[in-house]
Amino acid sequence: MNIDRMEVLRYLGYKNQSIDEAMENLIYECIAEIRKVMKKSFVYNIYDIEKQGDKVILKDTNLIFQSRYLRDHLQNSDRCALMAATLGIEVDKRIGYYSRLNLTKGIVMDACATAAIEAVCDEVQEEIKEMAQKAGYNITDRYSPGYRDLSITHQKAIIEVLKAHIRIGHTVNKNYIMIPRKSVTALIGLHRGKENVVEDKCSRCKEKNCMYRKCGDANELEC
Amino acid sequence: MSWNVDFSKFLVFDGAMGTMLQAYGMKAGELSERYNIEKPEVIEKIHKAYIDAGADVITTNTFGANRYKLNDKGLPLEDVIGRAVEIARKAAKDKLVALDIGPLGQLMEPYGSLSFEAAYEAFKEQITVGASAGADLIIIETMSDIYEVRAAILAARENSSLPIICTMTFQEDGRTLTGTDPLTMVNILQNLGIAALGINCSLGPKEMMPLVYEVLKYSRIPVIVQPNAGLPKMVGNETVFEINPEKFAAYGRQMAESGVRLLGGCCGTTPEHIKALKSALAGLKPAKNEIKRITAASSSTCTVVLGGEVKIIGERINPTGKKRLKQALIEGDMDYILREAVDQKDNGAHMLDVNVGLPEIDEKAVMVKVVKEIQGIVNLPLQIDSVRPEVIEAGVRVCNGRPIINSVNGEDKAMESILPIVKKYGCLMVALTLDEKGIPETAEDRLKIAEKIIKKASEYGIPKEDIIVDCLVLTASAQQREVKETIKAVRLVKEKLGVMTTLGVSNVSFGLPARGILNRTFLAAALSAGLDAPIMNPMEADMRDTVRAFNVLWNHDRDSKDYINAYTDIKTKPQSNVNRSSKDLKKIIIDGMKEEVKEVVKELLKEFRGLEIVDNYLIPALDTVGEKYEKGEIFLPQLILSAETVKNAFEDIKEDMMETLLKIKL
Repeated sequence: MNIDRMEVLRYLGYKNQSIDEAMENLIYECIAEIRKVMKKSFVYNIYDIEKQGDKVILKDTNLIFQSRYLRDHLQNSDRCALMAATLGIEVDKRIGYYSRLNLTKGIVMDACATAAIEAVCDEVQEEIKEMAQKAGYNITDRYSPGYRDLSITHQKAIIEVLKAHIRIGHTVNKNYIMIPRKSVTALIGLHRGKENVVEDKCSRCKEKNCMYRKCGDANELEC
Repeated sequence: MSWNVDFSKFLVFDGAMGTMLQAYGMKAGELSERYNIEKPEVIEKIHKAYIDAGADVITTNTFGANRYKLNDKGLPLEDVIGRAVEIARKAAKDKLVALDIGPLGQLMEPYGSLSFEAAYEAFKEQITVGASAGADLIIIETMSDIYEVRAAILAARENSSLPIICTMTFQEDGRTLTGTDPLTMVNILQNLGIAALGINCSLGPKEMMPLVYEVLKYSRIPVIVQPNAGLPKMVGNETVFEINPEKFAAYGRQMAESGVRLLGGCCGTTPEHIKALKSALAGLKPAKNEIKRITAASSSTCTVVLGGEVKIIGERINPTGKKRLKQALIEGDMDYILREAVDQKDNGAHMLDVNVGLPEIDEKAVMVKVVKEIQGIVNLPLQIDSVRPEVIEAGVRVCNGRPIINSVNGEDKAMESILPIVKKYGCLMVALTLDEKGIPETAEDRLKIAEKIIKKASEYGIPKEDIIVDCLVLTASAQQREVKETIKAVRLVKEKLGVMTTLGVSNVSFGLPARGILNRTFLAAALSAGLDAPIMNPMEADMRDTVRAFNVLWNHDRDSKDYINAYTDIKTKPQSNVNRSSKDLKKIIIDGMKEEVKEVVKELLKEFRGLEIVDNYLIPALDTVGEKYEKGEIFLPQLILSAETVKNAFEDIKEDMMETLLKIKL
C-alpha cells in the first residue's frame, strides 16, 4: 500500500510553498514510520437494502439510517456494503508520542496516517468492487457518517453490526469519536447501472473553501 | 487456593451463544442480552443444548451486559445479569455456571476515554450482581487490552470470592490488538490470583496452536482455550466458519495432550462441536507440565526477564539531588518527566524506576499520574519506588503491567505492610538487606537479612523468584572499608540463595571527584560478582560501555552483536554547514533549526541577558513567522517547527534566568 506524498502535503494544508531538504526528509521518514507501525485491518459485509421515504434499512440487521442524502446516494442500489477500517491503536500511540516530544513530527505523522487510512479504504473499496462485479453489480462511492445529513451517531451501530470492536479493535467513545482515531466507517452502494465512482472526491463536496480541497484536476495543487 | 471448582480435571465449556442466537433469528447488531428479558426460553434452550452435548460449564448470556453497552438500550443491568444467571442456573442443574464478562467496548486511556477507575467501577457492578445471583465462577473473556483485564480482575477479586478465568484474543501476528504477547499476558495474569488463563476467539484452533504452546510454556496455572470454528469466510451473504466438529475436536485433543486443561468454543461453534470435543477427551488424563519459574517484569507490551544479559533499571526519575526534576514534579510539568523516561529508554534502559517522593507534593496522587503518563508513552516495565506503602499500592494498582516494588527491607513492620501489596498485585519486589539495626557491616549478616525476607515472603505465597535482592552500596568517601563487603554480599546471596540481584551503583562515589571512574569500576566488579540488574543512569556512557563490554565477556551478547552494533558504526557527527556563532538567531528560528538553536542561544547568553534575547530575537522572529504563515509563504509543519525552535531556545534562557535569580538570592 502506498502513502502518497502529495496527499500527505494536502492534509498539511500545503499550497506550493518551498520545502527544504530537512522537511522533505521528515515527510519521507514519517511515511516510512506510519507504514511500519500501522496494522491495517478492516471488516465488511453486504446487505440487501430497503428504502422508505428518507430512511435506508439494512435487512437482517437493526440498522436504519435516516438521511435524505444517503438515500439519494443509494438511489439505484438494492444492496450495499457496510465497512469499517482502521490503522490500529499503535498509530495513535505513535502520534501521541510525537505530539508530546516533537510536535512538528507529530503533525506530519498525523497527516501521513490520514493519507494511509484513506488508501486502506480505497483498497477495501476495490475489493468490494471486484466482488460486486462478479455478481453483476457496480458500486457507488463510499459514504460515511458525518457526510451531510448522515449523523455520526450511526457509527456506533455500524461497529456493533460488524462486531468491529472484537474483530479489529475499532470503537467509538461516548461522543462518537472513533478510536483508534485513524478509522473509517462507510457504506458503498451496489447497483446494476454503470460504475459511478467519482475519482476526485473533492468535486462532490459542497465545502468550497475547505483547506484540504484539491484544486482543478487530480494532483494539481496550484491554487 | 480453595475454590468450589476442581481445576485439576478437564473442564469442557460451551460454544458460541451469538452464533446460536443468529440461527434463532437474531439480527446483526442486536443486543443479545435483550433475550434474557424478552425471550428467556431461547437462551435456556441454547444452554440446554450445550449441557446435553456434554459441557461441564455453561456461560451466561452477559458478554455485553455492562453500563457502556446497555446505557442507551433501556435495559436495567441488574435485570439483564440477574435473569441471565437464573436462566443458566436452571439449565445447568449440577453443572457449573460461569458469569460472562466481555470487554466494555471502549478503549482505555490515554488513547481512548475510559479511565482505569471507570473500568473498575463498570466491572464491579456486573460482578456484584452476577455473584449474588449465584454464578459459580467468573470468566473474563475476549479481551484485547490487558489494562482492562487488570481492572476486571481487581473488580472480581475485591467484590466476590469466585474463581476467575481470563482469556485474551490474539491476532495472527501473535499479539492482541493492543500489542500484548503471550508471555506478557501470562506474566501479568498468573500472578494476580486467578484460577486459569488462556486464549479465545479471533483465530481458529490451527492458527492458535503456536500461541497455545507459548502460553503453556510459561503458565503455572491451568490453561483454557476457546477457539473459533476456524476463520470466518464470506460465502455469498453469509459468514461461515470452516472447521467442522470432528476437526475441531481433533485440535482440542491435541491441545489437551499438550497441557490445556479447560476447553470450549467461541464464534461459529455449536453443540455439535462441543459434543465432539467432549468425546475426544474421553479417557485422556490431564497433562502435567513442569514450569520453570522466571523473574520477569512486564509493561503491557514487553516483558523483561532477569538473568543472563544485564538488565538496566533507569534511575533518573527520582528527585533526590535533581532540582530540575523537583521543579517539574511541583509544577506538574509532565513533558519534562516524559522526556527523562524517553531519554533513558533510548539509551538502553530495560526498566524504569519511578520515585516522586517530595514533601511539597501529594506523593500518592502524583505517583498515579506519573505512572499513567509514562506508560502511555514508554513501553518499559516500571519499578514503583517509595518509602510509603500507600504510595506504592496506588502506583502498582494503576500500573499497566507487572511492576517491581522498590522496596521492602528486613524490618517486621516494613515486611508486614509491603508483602501483602506484592502478593495482591502480583509484583516483583526489591529486598533491601537492612533492618531495625541498619545496614550490617558484613556480607554474612546481609545474607541473613535476605534469607529472613525470603522466608517471610514465602509465608505470604511470594516465591523467591519474585524477589530481587539489593545488598546496598555504601559510599567510598564515608565507609571505604565496607564497599568491598557489598560485592562479597552479592556473590554470597547469588551462591547461597540463587536469587536475582540489584544495586544502586552510583551511591559508591558520593563526595568524591570524577565519580564516573568509581561508578564504572564498581559496576564491573559487582557484575562479575553476580549483579543482574543495576539501578543506574543509562545516560552515562561509561556505565553503558561497561554493561556492553560485560555482556560480551560473559557470553551474554552472542557473537558480540550488540557490541559491534554499538561501536563499529560510531557515526561521524554531521557536519553542520552553519557557522553557528555568526548565524543569526532570527534566521535559525524562521528556518526551524530546533537542534542548532541551543548552542547559538548559549553563545548569545554570554553577551546578553535572557530578556534581551527574548525581546530582540525571539519575539521579532515569531512575528515574521506568523506573517509568513498568514500570507501562505510557509505551511503548517514549518510554522510548528519554528514554534518548537523558540521553545528550545527558551528552555536555555529560562535555566539561565533561574540561575541568575538564585545568585541574587544568595
